[in-house]
Amino acid sequence: MPITVFGIRHHGPGSSRSLVAALENLKPDAILVEGPPDGADVLALAGKEKMHPPVAMLIYRPEEPGQAVFYPFTIFSPEWQAVQYGLRNQIPVRFMDLPQAVQLAQRAALAEEMARKLEAGEELEAPAVEEKTEPEEVEVQQDPLGYLARAAGFEDGERWWEYLVEGRKENRAGIFEAVLEMMTALREERDASGEVPPLVEQQREASMRQIIRDAEKDGFENIAVVCGAWHAPALVKMPAKKADADLLKGLPKVKVAATWIPWTNDRLATSSGYGAGVRSPGWYAHLWENPEDAVVQWMARAARLLREEDLEASAAHVIEAVRLAETLAMMRGRPMPGLDELNEASRSVFCYGSDLPMRIIARRLVVGEVLGTVPDETPLMPFHQDLQRLQNALRLKPEATARTLELDLRNSKNSLDLDRSHLLHRLTLLEIPWGRLGSTYGKGTFREVWTLEWKPELAVAVMEAARWGNTVEDAAVQWARAEAKQTHSLAALTELIDLAILADLDAVTGDLVTRLQSLSALSSDVSELMSSLPGLVGVMRYGNVRKSEVEQIGPVVDGLVTRICVGLAPACSGLADEAARDMFTQLNNTDKAIRLLAMDEHTSEWTGAIRKVAENCNTPLLQGRAARILLDNKDDQPEDTARRMGLALSRGTLPEVAGAWVEGFLHGSGLLLVYDETLWGLINGWLAGVTDEAFIQLLPLLRRTFSTFPAGERKQISLRFSHHSGATQTEEIYDSGQVEQMLPLLEKLLGLNDEKSVSDGQ
Amino acid sequence: MSAVLRQHAEQEYAHELAELSQQDKRQRPANWKLSPWAVVTYLVGGKLDNGFEVTPKYIGSRRLMEIAVATLATDRALLLLGVPGTAKSWVSEHLAAAISGDSTMLVQGTAGTGEESIRYGWNYARLLAEGPSMQALVATPVMRAMQDGKIARLEELTRIPADVQDTLITLLSEKTMPVPELNTEVQAVKGFNMIATANDRDRGVNELSSALKRRFNTVVLPLPDTIEDEVDIVKRRVDSLGKALEIPAEKPPLEEIRRVVTIFRELRSGTTVDGKTKVKSPSGTLSSAEAISVVSNGLVMAGHFGDGNLHANDIAASLVGAVVKDPVQDRLIWLEYLETVVKERDGWKDLYRACREISE
Repeated sequence: MPITVFGIRHHGPGSSRSLVAALENLKPDAILVEGPPDGADVLALAGKEKMHPPVAMLIYRPEEPGQAVFYPFTIFSPEWQAVQYGLRNQIPVRFMDLPQAVQLAQRAALAEEMARKLEAGEELEAPAVEEKTEPEEVEVQQDPLGYLARAAGFEDGERWWEYLVEGRKENRAGIFEAVLEMMTALREERDASGEVPPLVEQQREASMRQIIRDAEKDGFENIAVVCGAWHAPALVKMPAKKADADLLKGLPKVKVAATWIPWTNDRLATSSGYGAGVRSPGWYAHLWENPEDAVVQWMARAARLLREEDLEASAAHVIEAVRLAETLAMMRGRPMPGLDELNEASRSVFCYGSDLPMRIIARRLVVGEVLGTVPDETPLMPFHQDLQRLQNALRLKPEATARTLELDLRNSKNSLDLDRSHLLHRLTLLEIPWGRLGSTYGKGTFREVWTLEWKPELAVAVMEAARWGNTVEDAAVQWARAEAKQTHSLAALTELIDLAILADLDAVTGDLVTRLQSLSALSSDVSELMSSLPGLVGVMRYGNVRKSEVEQIGPVVDGLVTRICVGLAPACSGLADEAARDMFTQLNNTDKAIRLLAMDEHTSEWTGAIRKVAENCNTPLLQGRAARILLDNKDDQPEDTARRMGLALSRGTLPEVAGAWVEGFLHGSGLLLVYDETLWGLINGWLAGVTDEAFIQLLPLLRRTFSTFPAGERKQISLRFSHHSGATQTEEIYDSGQVEQMLPLLEKLLGLNDEKSVSDGQ
Repeated sequence: MSAVLRQHAEQEYAHELAELSQQDKRQRPANWKLSPWAVVTYLVGGKLDNGFEVTPKYIGSRRLMEIAVATLATDRALLLLGVPGTAKSWVSEHLAAAISGDSTMLVQGTAGTGEESIRYGWNYARLLAEGPSMQALVATPVMRAMQDGKIARLEELTRIPADVQDTLITLLSEKTMPVPELNTEVQAVKGFNMIATANDRDRGVNELSSALKRRFNTVVLPLPDTIEDEVDIVKRRVDSLGKALEIPAEKPPLEEIRRVVTIFRELRSGTTVDGKTKVKSPSGTLSSAEAISVVSNGLVMAGHFGDGNLHANDIAASLVGAVVKDPVQDRLIWLEYLETVVKERDGWKDLYRACREISE
C-alpha cells in the first residue's frame, strides 16, 4: 500500500509516541502532514538548532497583518514529531490542507458582506455555518478521541488513549487502523443522519486529497499521511479526482506570508481561548517525557515546586499524595490516576485544602511556563510590518534627527493629522517612545506638538511590543487591557482611560470602564474614590468621547458619587494633620466635579454628606471647609453659617482647633469677611478673646490662612480690622485706603511700574 | 426513644444503612460496615439497583466526599475544614455512622480540653484503693475507637491547646497509645481512623504544628456552589426545623428564601448574581446555616407577631443582624449594598424599605 494514513489526536502525547514508532516501522519516502501549505517556505526552519517548541507557525496577510492564523506546535504534537522525523531522515515533508490564502480570503469576503449588510440596514441572517452546529458536534470534530473517551467515562482523552492503546505493547501499527475504524463509524453515523458536512470541511478534505495525488504524481511510493483523526477516513477513500477539483475551482485567494513565532504553553491552554487547545499542556509534556512512572514523577515535581516557594512538602508528603491519588483512582474504577485525581490529592495533602498553592501547581506544572524560541533567520514580525505600512501611509518616515511636528486634529478635509496623533499616542502607550508630546494645551484644544526622533534601540521596543498583537492598534488594545488588569489604583485607571481615548482605542474603553466600576466598588478608600472622580467627570464633559462611552461612564460616576457620599463622614473623621490636608484638597476637587456634573440627584446627595461633615466631624479643618461649601452653594443661610461658626469658635473650643476650623473655612478667599457683618464680628470677637499665649500659637496658622487670599482682599480685611469700630460699608468704599489699594492693580494694567506690582502681589 | 430531641445519624437513617449494607457487593476495608463506594452513596444520595432511594445528606460535590472517604481508607486521618455553617460536623457524623455504624466516639475540642480527654484518665477512687491497673483506667472515646477499630471524631481541633494536640502525633502515625504507668500500650485495631473538624476562620487560635498537619489529609468544605443548591439546602432545613419547633406560620414562599440566599451569596462573593456589579463583603461568614436561621427567625416573627405569612419586614430584622456583625464597617457595607443593589432591583422595593427602616 503506497499510502498509509495516520489519524492522530492534535497535541496528544500518546498519539505522538505511537506515530513515531509507526513511522520508524514504515520508513516512508514522503510525509504529508495536516498543516498550512502556505508555510512550505519556512517549514525547513523547524529543523534548525535554535528552534525549540512551543512555537507557532503564523500565516498572515502582509497588507492586513491583523488577519492571521496561528498553528501552534509543541514537543508532544504528533505533527511536530512527524515533521522532525522527516527533517531528521532527509525525507521530504509537505503540509496539506486548504491553503490559508483561500481560507483568509473567504473570511474577509464574509466579513465584508456582513459589513455591507449592516450598513444597508438589512437583517443579519444566521451567521456562518460553524456557529450553527451544536457545541457537542464541534467537540466531536475537533477532538473525536477525547469525545469518545468522555463517552467511555474518562475525563481526559490522553488517559483513555493510554489505557486502551498504549497498554497493548505488541502490534502497535494496529492502533491507527482501529482509530480509522472508529472514525469511520462516527462519520457514517453523521452521514446516515442526513447531515451535510460544512462546506469548509469538504473543501479542506478535497484539498488534502489533491495534495496526496500530487505527491503520488511526483513519484513517491511509500507516503505517510498524518492528519487529525476526524479526517482520516476521508483520505483513505479517495473519490474521483474531478469531484475534488470542482470543489476547489475558482476559490478566491489573497496574498499571504508565513513565519514562525515563539509561543507559550500558556497560550496553548484552552483557558487562553485557543479553540483546538489542550486543557493541560504541562501535564501532556510531562506524560511525553515520563511515560513510565508519570504519577510519582509528577508528585515529586509538585513537591519540589512548592518547596521552592517555601511551602512545606516533604518526601513523606509525596508518598501520601501518591497513595491518595491511587486510592481515588481505584474507587473510581480507573487503572491509573488522571490529572483530576492528582490535583485532588495534591490539594488535600500538600496544600491542606487551600487553593492558593494549587494555583502555583496549575500555572507552573499543569500549564507550564515555557516560552519557545525561533532561529534568527525567521522572517519579520507582522507588527513591524504594520508599523512600516502605517509610517508610509501617514508619511512619517523614521528619521534619526529630531524634528517637530505640529498636528491640527480638527482638520476636517482629511484625517491625516488625527491618524498621526492616534498612531503616536498608541506607540507611546506601547512604550515605543518615537515621538514626545510637547507642551499640551489641555484637553479642550485641538493642537498637538510632537518631537519625533527614531533611535536604533526602538527596534527592540518594537519587537517587545509585537508580542501584544499583530497590528499597532491591536497591540495597544491588548496592552491597555493587560495594564488595566494589573493596576489597582483608581487614579491610574482613570488616566489610562484618558490615554485610551486619546489613542482612539474604542475596543478597550468599554473594558476599562467596566474594570473601573469593579475597582471602585471594592475600594474602601473614600479618598481614592474621590481622587478618581474629577478625572472621570472631565472625560464625560470635555473628552471627545463617543456617546456610547459616556453612557457607560455615567453609571460608574453614579456609583462613585453614591459611595463617596455614604463614606464621606467616617472618612473625614479622626484624620491626622497631613491626611486632613490631603482630604481637604479632595473635598474641594470633588465639590468642583459634582458642581460640574450639575445633576440634581448627585448634588443633593453630596450636600447631605457635606452637611454631616459640617455638623459632626472631629477634624476641624474639614468641618470648616464643609461649612464654607454649604455657604458658597447657598445650601446654608448666612445665619446657619453664623451658628456653625459661633459653635466652632465658642469659648469651650481649644484655640488650635478653632484655628484649624477658621483655616478650613476661610482658605482661598476671605472676601466674605469684608461684607458679612456677623461673621466678621464672630472672628473678631474670637481673636480678641484668646489669651496672648494662645495667640502666639495661632499666629503661624492664621498667617498661613490669610496668605492664601489675594492681595487686595488681604488689604481690605486689614482695613476692616483697623476700623473695627464698626464703620459701615458705604463709608469704606470712599475710604482713601481702598483707593490706594487699587492703585497697584491699575499700575500693573497700565504697565507703569512692573516691579512694584510684583512685589505687591507677593 | 422518640422523645429525644435529636437522634444520632445511625439511628435516624438506620433503614438506609441496612439497605445499603445488603445491596453493597463491593470490597469493604477491614472492619468497615460498608464499602467506600456505598459510603459515598450514603452521603450524596442516589438510587440503588433495587430501586431503593437513598436521601442526600450532603448537597454538594461528590468528588469531595470521594476524597474524604478515600482518605479514611488509607491510614491518614481526615481533617474537614470550612467556615462555620458548611456542614463539617454533619459530614463527620454521617461518615462515622456509615463507616463504623457508630458516630458517638466523639471528643469536643475546647480551650480546656486536656490530655486526659484524648488519651485516658484515672478513676481515682479505684487508683487509691487498688493501685494502678487497667481497671482503674478510664478510656476516652479515642481509646475505645482504637480498641474496637472504629472512627473517632474530634470536633474543633484548632481550639485544643497546642501541647494537647501534639499527643495525637504518635497516636496517628504509630497507631498505638502507650500507657507508661502500666508499662503497656493499646494498639489500634484495623478500621480505626480519625475525623477532625476545624474552623477556617479560627485558624489562628491554635494553629496545628506542621508535624501534626502532615498526619491529616485536608478536605475543605465550600459554601454551596449554585444558588439552586443553596436555596434547596435552606428550604429543606427550614421545613424540618419549622416542623420540630411547631411554628404557627405558613411555609415560607420560595421567593423569600431565594431573596435571602441571593443577598447572602452576593455579599459573600462580592459580586451581584448577574456578575455586573461588585460589592464589598462584610466581616461575617454569611453561611447557609445563617440563611437558615434568618428564614426561620422570620417565620417565628410572622407566626407570632405577623399575619402568619412571611413578608419582607419579618425577615429584615434578622437579616440586618446577620449581615452587620461589626457595627461600623459592616454597616457602611450594608448601606452601600442597599443603595446600589437592593434599591435598583425590580420587585425588591418592599425589602429595601423594610431594611432601610431598621438600618437607619
